Amino acid sequence: MNRLVSLLFVLPAGVLAQEPPVAEGLAAWSRIYEVASHPRCTNCHVGDSGRPAWAALGYDPKWLHGMNVQAGDSRIGAETVLCQTCHITAASDNATPHAAPQIDDAWRLPPVALDWRDKTSGEICIQMRNPETNNGFEGQELAAHVRESAFVNWGFEPGGNRVPAPGTAEELARDIEVWIAAGTPCTADP
Amino acid sequence: MKLMVNGREHEVDVEDDMPLLWVLRDELGFTSVKYGCGIAQCGACTVQVDGIAVRSCQLAVGDLDGDVTTIEGLGTPEAMHAVQQAWVDHQVAQCGYCQSGQMMQATSFLVLNGTPSDDQIDAAMSGNLCRCGTYPRIRAAIKTAAAKLQGA
Repeated sequence: MNRLVSLLFVLPAGVLAQEPPVAEGLAAWSRIYEVASHPRCTNCHVGDSGRPAWAALGYDPKWLHGMNVQAGDSRIGAETVLCQTCHITAASDNATPHAAPQIDDAWRLPPVALDWRDKTSGEICIQMRNPETNNGFEGQELAAHVRESAFVNWGFEPGGNRVPAPGTAEELARDIEVWIAAGTPCTADP
Repeated sequence: MKLMVNGREHEVDVEDDMPLLWVLRDELGFTSVKYGCGIAQCGACTVQVDGIAVRSCQLAVGDLDGDVTTIEGLGTPEAMHAVQQAWVDHQVAQCGYCQSGQMMQATSFLVLNGTPSDDQIDAAMSGNLCRCGTYPRIRAAIKTAAAKLQGA
């Protein structure tokens, strides 16, 4: 019993509550931000311009998607040309450089609220922890989404000569779990 | 495998990964469908699957899920589709190589957006390249076809 009491004194409060400390959550967030701010992700995580980019292909980082592509308010190009016209819905290894990538999901832009281009770590963090601005993900649903989404998984293995996002989808999911368990701390928090 | 093209069922003996473009051209003889780049960068191979424009060079036939329409199925010389008629009225084509893809894209576009602005026409057609530079006539023909399809 005495040994147990001693152990309780040396353990940090976060461990007792089975929650990672805030510092660990912030460290996980910094790795999450490294992914979210990578051009492989910010190419499509754009705001209401609806203009995806072609960064991380060896072009200038600000290079917009060719063919004057505008995904529009629909975010799927319904007003002009559908994303799916070129980005066929099919499982593919996408080995051919410069070809339109294909995944087993309907190609589209993320919601406007998930605009990550030119956003700071603090801005994206606050956006990601709020279900009203993170596409409705509550709690650990976000980690499940990262594991299951064909888009997210493609970002880590884009094929051809495309630059991948850093790490793996599983590593990102684990970091999200840690960040959420730590109470979704953001660097911008007081 | 079986596929529907222009309202008729066809059976072909090909590998699943053969692009629809080559099935249409080499197996079924729909030579309106043109090879341009093979990587969905030029639009010459555009056909429709269930009415949606698709770059057939990028679609493995094993992934095909729907009925295919090529320009042979859009209209006939006696009863042209409004887009085809507008193309004739505006004498759009020069060499003609890209034009079946242009018309298949334009027709799909007008189903999605019946009253497009000039900017929307330009955006919708920017993925269909024309080395002859017939773009001003393409835009004019689409506006004519849109008006006709809207009953103006």
